[in-house]
Amino acid sequence: MAHITINQYLQQLYEAIDNRDGAFCAQLLSFKHPHVANPRLQLQSPEEKCQQVLEPPYDEMVAAHLRCCFAVANHDFVEAYKFQTLVVQSFLRAFQSHKEENWALPLMFAVTLDLRIFANNAEQQLQRKGKGQPGEMLEKAAEQLMSCFRVCASDNRAGIDDSKKWGMMFLSNQLFKIYFKINKLPLCKPLIRAIDSSNLRTEFSPAQTVTYKYYVGRKAMFDSDFKPAEEYLSYSFDHCHRSSQKNKRMILIYLLPVKMLLGHMPTLQLLRKYDLMQFSDVTKGVREGNLLLLNEALSKHETFFIRCGIFLILEKLKIITYRNLFKKVYLLLQTHQLPLEAFLIALRMMKVEGVDLDEVQCILANLIYMGHIKGYISHQHQKLVVSKQNPFPALSTLT
Amino acid sequence: MAANTTQTAPSTNSYGGATEGQVHENPEWEKARQALASINKSQNTTKTAQATATTEASQFQQGATEALQQQQYYQWYQQNQQQYPGYTYPYNYYYPMAPYGGAYPPNQYNVPQGHFPGSPATNGQPASTPFHSSQNTYNPPNSMSYQPSDPNQMQVYNHSQGRSGYGQGFQSQNKYPATGAPQQQPGQFGPGAGRGEANKAKNQKQGQQLWHRMKAPGTAALKFNFPKRPYQVPCSSANQAFSSGDQASGVNPSPSSPAAATAAPGPQDWPQAMKEYVQRCFTACETEEDKDRTEKVLKEILQDRLKDGSAYTIDWTREPLPLKAKSRWESQRSSESSMGRGGSTGAASRGRGHRLGNYRNIFTQRSPSSSSSHSSSRSPSPSHSRHRDRSNQRHRRFNVYSDSGSQSDSSMSSDLRPQLSRRGQKGARGRGNNRDRGRGRGSKANRGRNMEDTSSPIPKKRKGGNAGLDFHDPNREAKKQSRAARFHKQLRSEPLVLSINTLELPDGTQEGLNWEDCPIVGTCQDITKPYLRLTCAPDPSTVRPVQVLKKSLEAVKADWKNNQDYAYACEQMKSIRQDLTVQGVRTDFTVEVYECHARIALEKGDHEEFNQCQTQLKALYKDNPSENVGEFTAYRLIYYIFTKNSGLTTELVYLTPALRADVCVAHALSLRAAWALGNYQRFFKLYLQAPRMTSYLIDKFVERERKVALRAIVKFRPDLPVQYVQSTLGFDSLDSCMMFLTGLGVAFTAYDPQKIDCKASTAIL
Repeated sequence: MAHITINQYLQQLYEAIDNRDGAFCAQLLSFKHPHVANPRLQLQSPEEKCQQVLEPPYDEMVAAHLRCCFAVANHDFVEAYKFQTLVVQSFLRAFQSHKEENWALPLMFAVTLDLRIFANNAEQQLQRKGKGQPGEMLEKAAEQLMSCFRVCASDNRAGIDDSKKWGMMFLSNQLFKIYFKINKLPLCKPLIRAIDSSNLRTEFSPAQTVTYKYYVGRKAMFDSDFKPAEEYLSYSFDHCHRSSQKNKRMILIYLLPVKMLLGHMPTLQLLRKYDLMQFSDVTKGVREGNLLLLNEALSKHETFFIRCGIFLILEKLKIITYRNLFKKVYLLLQTHQLPLEAFLIALRMMKVEGVDLDEVQCILANLIYMGHIKGYISHQHQKLVVSKQNPFPALSTLT
Repeated sequence: MAANTTQTAPSTNSYGGATEGQVHENPEWEKARQALASINKSQNTTKTAQATATTEASQFQQGATEALQQQQYYQWYQQNQQQYPGYTYPYNYYYPMAPYGGAYPPNQYNVPQGHFPGSPATNGQPASTPFHSSQNTYNPPNSMSYQPSDPNQMQVYNHSQGRSGYGQGFQSQNKYPATGAPQQQPGQFGPGAGRGEANKAKNQKQGQQLWHRMKAPGTAALKFNFPKRPYQVPCSSANQAFSSGDQASGVNPSPSSPAAATAAPGPQDWPQAMKEYVQRCFTACETEEDKDRTEKVLKEILQDRLKDGSAYTIDWTREPLPLKAKSRWESQRSSESSMGRGGSTGAASRGRGHRLGNYRNIFTQRSPSSSSSHSSSRSPSPSHSRHRDRSNQRHRRFNVYSDSGSQSDSSMSSDLRPQLSRRGQKGARGRGNNRDRGRGRGSKANRGRNMEDTSSPIPKKRKGGNAGLDFHDPNREAKKQSRAARFHKQLRSEPLVLSINTLELPDGTQEGLNWEDCPIVGTCQDITKPYLRLTCAPDPSTVRPVQVLKKSLEAVKADWKNNQDYAYACEQMKSIRQDLTVQGVRTDFTVEVYECHARIALEKGDHEEFNQCQTQLKALYKDNPSENVGEFTAYRLIYYIFTKNSGLTTELVYLTPALRADVCVAHALSLRAAWALGNYQRFFKLYLQAPRMTSYLIDKFVERERKVALRAIVKFRPDLPVQYVQSTLGFDSLDSCMMFLTGLGVAFTAYDPQKIDCKASTAIL
């Protein structure tokens, strides 16, 4: 396959299209397939050959693909991206004309995946040259993917087996990747709504579902909807293929903070298994109410956490750490009427800068407001009065 | 398809003699063959000339017929095309099951390569040549293989290959058209059926399809051969098929003209019962006239059946034979002949041409079972036939026109129509341009045919005066429909041009145009200038150069300090910005302008302008670091708090330690941290210490944060002095705090109006 001629290649494609062999078509147009490294196919002007064998719009699609191979061979990803856009556009034209059949879905997956990857590469290439706005290429690629998505989502005519709707989840996963990258999370919303309202939502392939739930879970996490986030990410983690350790690790990076915020601390074995020891001190600090340790851990691994986009989430663990710290104060003092001074001393011990009684009161008020502490502040007496029963309810019982 | 048949049949008949003996060894086959041959005859008798011209192509469409033709062609090709070594390739594919297959190298894929160098370049169409040459050359092996008159072999060929296998090839091609216009032929090309069949005959099919693909241009040529002139342009590559067979032809000078028509193959997936029914019908015929009649009636019946899908459901074994339909047919015939002629004057569109191809293919489908037969009543008479062929060729062309032309759109489904008309226009054009070429080709084809004639008998029957029949096709509607259904199966008519110009490259400017690529230098000396959104290329005389703009900026600043007229200041700033953009000026001065405008906009709460400036500044700072980077970075951070945008996370990535140390940025970061943890105490403390114009920005959401904070403050408390709230929430006076509280409807204790009744207020908040 790697050394076939252009004619053989086109013949194979023609045959695959004729057979509606979506999987093989996909291979022949995918950059995961070795044919793209075949110098005989890296043509600068494949148009004529293509149009002699294939009918439109397939000829255009394939010609653009071969131009794309040519561009990639020359390491010109901007060019490759442009031609891949053409591939997707002409594919879409063909795809739209496939009434009540969906054999071309694998092909769509292949060309759209490559489009996203090239958009990424093109952008990096442009950025290195100091040209272009960050995200611009990806945004344009997202537009293309959206038009594919619309075609899939609006296929109401075909029966369930032939429905193009099966392509929705793959496309939305690709779009999620772009939107997360260019920080346009709100754009995920219509996609999620479309999939959640689809009757296929539980029928998609496990692989796609795992990816989908991973992104929906991350989105929920960024929206501070931690309960649904935990649900999605847990599903994703539990159903991710056991051999995809890298993916499981990625899921954990978001699942861990969410779980911790909800009061479930990861074991050291888990962190070790997935090489996430950056979390170990964070976990320890939170569990022990050791604000100092937490702050140190956060600043030590700040770049890692920021790069993962979880720094701000982990910061919220401080609230739980306050709660654990204050619970220790309560346990030490063995009383239900706790002087605010005591908390101030504890916070100062943790080297919290510029803290004063008003701030203690503020932190306590927040903890009470969020239900972490059952009690009230007596402003007049500068005391925290906690409930006699279960003044520090377990985190996991909070709603 | 009709065309197809017509062409194949004559060739079959005329040259069939050689193979007759072996054909007879398989009586069943012979029957079917004769039946189909007779079908074809009615239309074809007069068209021998075209038939010969196009035989090369047509034979590819007709699995069985080929066998016969191949023999004749073999010699001919031997003479003309010995330089083509590649016939092994198609042969291999074509007879994948035959024992001889082994004799040929299985590397079919190599053939096209081999052809390239080998094929003479006279055609001027290098790309298409290999296909044609392979088509042509594949004959020899073919004919040789079955020469030995091995009946089994014939059977293999006819039944497994010629029928299902062959059909597969077509079927696959048909899929597209069928899906493109599913409503038109719901039953005929059912995807399920097609797929199933495809799987069954996978091996064969692969070969077949490859084969079909290869020959696609050739088949197209067939179609267009009759209506030579009008269709010349589109089918130039098709023409190649002929020219390559006939090396002398310089007929196709334009190599780039695309293969206009894909072979629109016949209905491959007819139910077996129906095919048998067709055979039965023809075997029942006694005279040639009967067969003619039967054929026409049958066509109507089948078309209808296929159209409404009943072809797959009814019991064909019980279907009455159509011979009785005689009288009806007679009348139809006369009326159609006139119609046909009338239609011939109409411009033939390319679309019609394509349908023509389909029309031929319908017959093709039938021919595999019968095509190799030849009627013993036909006697060789080369000279005669040649003569007649010429005249008939012309007739035929007209007939084709009327056929396709008169039917044009009426039966098309609505989704097909736009394409059709478009194609039609193109076709008309092509016709005018290529008249001569078409003619030349035709004559060459004839020449080639003559050579064949010398070596093979020509059927007597054909010569008979059936020529008139060609004009009257009672099944025009049916043909038209099938053509329309396969209309989509077309190669591109015009050279494919990959156009990526529409995808504009991202550039650094907001306006979407890269001004740096076309720098202009303004000459306008006005200090102030009203802002007008540019709708065309800027005129240098209205653009101010940088020196003037510097004065302008000072003037605007002064005016702002004195008059605080934001509308005026904003317009002037926008106009300065525009002049800078137009001239591609991206310097420290540009940064200054944007910073200035951003501050003014911030002061007046003009979000839109502020954000525009921020976006520009972010880009500008990359090349023009300013001492105010920290300030505007802080504004951006705080703006993220305002919008609660998750982009804050990514913004943090880009904060260098140096930037973090900046007063404004550090302040913004602690403000953000306090805000994230709901530490209102600290948040409002920082609010009161806000550096530069940060407080303007915080003002935008300070109310919101106060509300949130108050909710936490008042929860689970007995009471709370207002003074505490005032200091905690950063109010500068008790009054403003009271106003805020009463505005929210906070309840105060009965015994002290300076104390908040927290329990009651919690419910309100």
